[in-house]
Amino acid sequence: MTYVKGLKCKECGHRVPATPVHVCEQCFGPYEVEYDYEAMKGKVTRESIAAGPHSLWRYKDLLPVDVPRTGFNSGMTPLRRAPNLEKLLGCREIWIKDDSCNYPTYSYKERVVSVSISKAVEFGFDTVGCASTGNLANSTAAHAVTAGVKCFVMIPHDLEQGKVLGSLIFGPTMVRIKGNYDDVNRLCTEIADKYGWAIVNVNLRPYYTEGAKTFGFEIAEQLGWKLPQHTISPTAGGTILPKIYKGYQEFIELGLVEDNKPKMYSAQAAGCNPVVTAIHKGSDIIEPQKPNTIAKSIAIGNPADGYYVYNVIKDSGGWGESATDAEIVDAIRLLGKTEGIWTEPAGGTTLAVAIKLIQQGRIPKDESICICITGNGLKTLETVQDALPYPEVINAKLNEFDAIIDRLGETKSEPELATV
Amino acid sequence: MAKISRKFWFTFPTKTQVQRPVIWEMSRKFPEVVFDIRQASVQDEIGIMAVLLEGEAEQVRGAVEYCRVAGLQVDPIEKTVIEG
Ligand SMILES: Cc1ncc(COP(=O)(O)O)c(C=O)c1O
Ligand SMILES: [Zn+2]
Repeated sequence: MTYVKGLKCKECGHRVPATPVHVCEQCFGPYEVEYDYEAMKGKVTRESIAAGPHSLWRYKDLLPVDVPRTGFNSGMTPLRRAPNLEKLLGCREIWIKDDSCNYPTYSYKERVVSVSISKAVEFGFDTVGCASTGNLANSTAAHAVTAGVKCFVMIPHDLEQGKVLGSLIFGPTMVRIKGNYDDVNRLCTEIADKYGWAIVNVNLRPYYTEGAKTFGFEIAEQLGWKLPQHTISPTAGGTILPKIYKGYQEFIELGLVEDNKPKMYSAQAAGCNPVVTAIHKGSDIIEPQKPNTIAKSIAIGNPADGYYVYNVIKDSGGWGESATDAEIVDAIRLLGKTEGIWTEPAGGTTLAVAIKLIQQGRIPKDESICICITGNGLKTLETVQDALPYPEVINAKLNEFDAIIDRLGETKSEPELATV
Repeated sequence: MAKISRKFWFTFPTKTQVQRPVIWEMSRKFPEVVFDIRQASVQDEIGIMAVLLEGEAEQVRGAVEYCRVAGLQVDPIEKTVIEG
């Protein structure tokens, strides 16, 4: 039993049945899943959700899937209070939604991929695929195994070995493609057209993006059926931010949370910030950029849904900022030292931007704030390697150890805000 | 009716298959649709162009359909598909 009515074009409103299409046949705008919220009322309740499994599938009624095929242990990541960051920033209430420990490949992508691949199986596809430089590839390859479908992963030929292994371990067919970024991109679009595979983020995009709502649902439920007043999320292709907001709005519509007019804030790296630039200019035209940043997982110069991020920021009354590579590294270290969480540059960007927005006064210190951490630092060792002083070596003599303790006593200090 | 603006790839098959000046014909038939060529690579046998079409949704659709019937391949330009 699902509450899905079909697909509806976000631009012209044209409706089609729920099929594997992503661009409107009338105007080439993007399709989005449409639900029957009236039918849900009284049936989809706090109790019905709480009685569901301890995974993202507890929100199945609000997802476009009949039978989940994978992701049975994905989602329901911790929402943690961040007392040390609160102290450091002088804020009353900071929460961290921590997808650095999302299962099984440690990023928010488990959410979108679980939904997309389950839908692919429902549509009868036996092969799924994606083009990705990291997190999406890891997640697609892993969930394809659980769902029992074949998997193709397309990557640029010069991708670092570590990133290749993180997907290869799950046994997909990987294809390394020569050429510049645009060439690879173009070929992947053609592959999606020609082979009739379920490319998780292309022809299944309307279903894929719905999975990101669970990030927002979980924040609301874990906060005790309440919404944070301010949510800071990274932006790459533009999936997660609008969908967290849609998740909030659906809970409001169903009467599961009170409408406290939540505001959304977009975080991008200074070396790839097409959406933040548009926000600052007050123009909804997202001008493509050539990315140049250590935050590779969010370096998308021509985001598919950038325009919708812009709209949500404007409608909700939020804002956007960017962080330089140095600020990103500082923020990664700060999160480690203050809250014991190791995130990748996407999370560093989000924290650095949150700090900026708080210091600018855009986000009031006495209101509730949620920082979205979407990926794990173990995948990006190279980004912090040079920033961390390598430990010294001593002889196996107690007096040499004592000397270290003495020196520590002189220099020990509280974590500082390098970004101030 | 809402005005829309869309980018397309226009692929021209071999010269022997399409000998007419299709883009010119299209602009005659749909004078209200503004077209802007953003990128082009035309060789002897095959050509490809990135074209921005702007106008009433109905008109843009008609223009696209006209070109397709005339033998061009018209595909919407995708945004980035490679994700992190
Ligand atoms: C770790 C991480 N965070 C955030 C994002 C943001 O993605 P989007 O705006 O495409 O939803 C990505 C996407 O690639 C990612 O890998
Ligand atoms: Zn449409």
